[in-house]
Amino acid sequence: MNKVVPIDIQVASNSMDAFDIESVRKDFPILKQDIYGKSLVFLDSGASAQKPQVVIDAVRECYETYYSNVHRGAYFLSQKCTDVYEQVRGQIATFINAPSENNVIITSGVTESINLVAQTWGRKFLKKGDEIIVSEVEHHANIVPWQLLQDEIGFDIKVAKIDDQGEFLLDTFKALLSPKTKLVAITDCSNVLGTMFPVKEITRLAHEVGAKVLVDGAQGIVHKGADVQDLDCDFYGFTGHKIYGPTGVGILYGKMDVLKSMPPYQGGGDMIEKVSFAGTTFQEPPYRFEAGTPPIAQVIGLGAAIKYVSDLGMENISAHEQGLLAYANELLSAIEGVQIIGQAKDKAAIISFLIEGTHPFDVAAVLDRQGVATRVGQHCAEPLMDRLGIVGTVRASFGLYNNKDDVDRLAAAIGRAKELLL
Amino acid sequence: MNSITPQYEDYADALEMIDDEDMRFEYIIDMGKKVKDEDFPEALRIDANLMHGCMSRVWLCDEVRDGKHYFSGFSDAIIVKGLAAMMAGSFSGLTTDELQELTTDHVRRLNLGALTTQRQVGMMAMLETFKKFGMSGGGTLAQLRSGSA
Repeated sequence: MNKVVPIDIQVASNSMDAFDIESVRKDFPILKQDIYGKSLVFLDSGASAQKPQVVIDAVRECYETYYSNVHRGAYFLSQKCTDVYEQVRGQIATFINAPSENNVIITSGVTESINLVAQTWGRKFLKKGDEIIVSEVEHHANIVPWQLLQDEIGFDIKVAKIDDQGEFLLDTFKALLSPKTKLVAITDCSNVLGTMFPVKEITRLAHEVGAKVLVDGAQGIVHKGADVQDLDCDFYGFTGHKIYGPTGVGILYGKMDVLKSMPPYQGGGDMIEKVSFAGTTFQEPPYRFEAGTPPIAQVIGLGAAIKYVSDLGMENISAHEQGLLAYANELLSAIEGVQIIGQAKDKAAIISFLIEGTHPFDVAAVLDRQGVATRVGQHCAEPLMDRLGIVGTVRASFGLYNNKDDVDRLAAAIGRAKELLL
Repeated sequence: MNSITPQYEDYADALEMIDDEDMRFEYIIDMGKKVKDEDFPEALRIDANLMHGCMSRVWLCDEVRDGKHYFSGFSDAIIVKGLAAMMAGSFSGLTTDELQELTTDHVRRLNLGALTTQRQVGMMAMLETFKKFGMSGGGTLAQLRSGSA
């Protein structure tokens, strides 16, 4: 085993007053437990983040004290539940700086957000001979919905490239743009490499050729927040459970003129204005796209999560995570045989890595036995794995509750993996 | 069926004697390390012979001699390689009828609680594959799937 040399790096040194990591950790009850007799080090927040007590309480309080179906209930509980539920819509609008809560559509997650755009905007506006652009780092959720539609319509899917460090190649992206380009669907942060994509510049360039832009914000918003008006994107999707909220809820932001041009997604209750056998009319956005009973308690839990991260401050969270990323980079780079996959300059706190001479599944299994929870495999990004020529990676993705000890434990567990496997 | 094969009993006894989960985990890793490349013909390590649904690459094959099935297993990951070797060793030398009597309890008796659920499911899948091989004439997974085994 290589000796792990302690490195003195300040973690969130400029924000410690606002961001007391030990106090923050106490907000997450799940972190108090031991796994295999060792304290839990949770480094899989990129897949799904743990929940602070305020989120758990908000969901429980909803079910215990005022739960009922929202919209049009003629009684006290329904009115209260509707009020709380709709306040969250406004809260999210503020969080992402949307012009209005009416730009905010509740979905089941970013996967549904993207599918919604594909099946409504895409089905209406994409024609045979058109082109859309995705990047080669995309999560399958931002590839497959377009392929499904492509099979029906016959448009082309162009793929924007990265270099070997994981940097987005803006020049090659520019070369893909043409009047045929109708949509750029792109992530703001690679879930594998951590690369933050220049989505503001991408949007500006795409708009120059008249293309719409959809940003998959599943990862990016968690680490750096999002300002949809500053980005000027046409769509922005994100998911609740990655930003410390419940599962089963996500958001699609859309510019109002674009949303108004789109037909409904699914049919059902709540999304209609008037239903008759002679013809049915539909509500205005966002309700036009929200058929059926929504994920009420989950939305309320998401509201608590958004308040939680807002109170901590996204800048403080980002500074803290960047400190952890720098520390982890230094520590892991010092371990012989560790190869960090993705070395972009602007990265979120996500580190994919391999250990020379080992299989990533074996490494992750040894890490697990050390109480260190990571993710292993292709991370729903098979085309990226093909591009990199690897079978998969071990991914350590940090959340706001991770601390330096977690990084030390990760490094020690990697050392143990080398001992056992090599 | 209490006694399966001597090798199965050896594995079950060895794992039962280890009362520490971490050590049991390391035992499997050691098993994987003992499997050499030459133990599984390279020519058979092709995509057509891969077990489906596994997170790592797993190959299985079956050679029938004197009416008994002799399995081999291999993987590109050490832990799964150890498990495949243990499963193949445990259930080799059984007849078709004996293979059909195997149940998931026989795998559970190996006491592999140190593995994740996912890997335990993988071992049950290997058992099912052995039973399918048992109903055929042996060979590779590609042959089994095409019905020519």
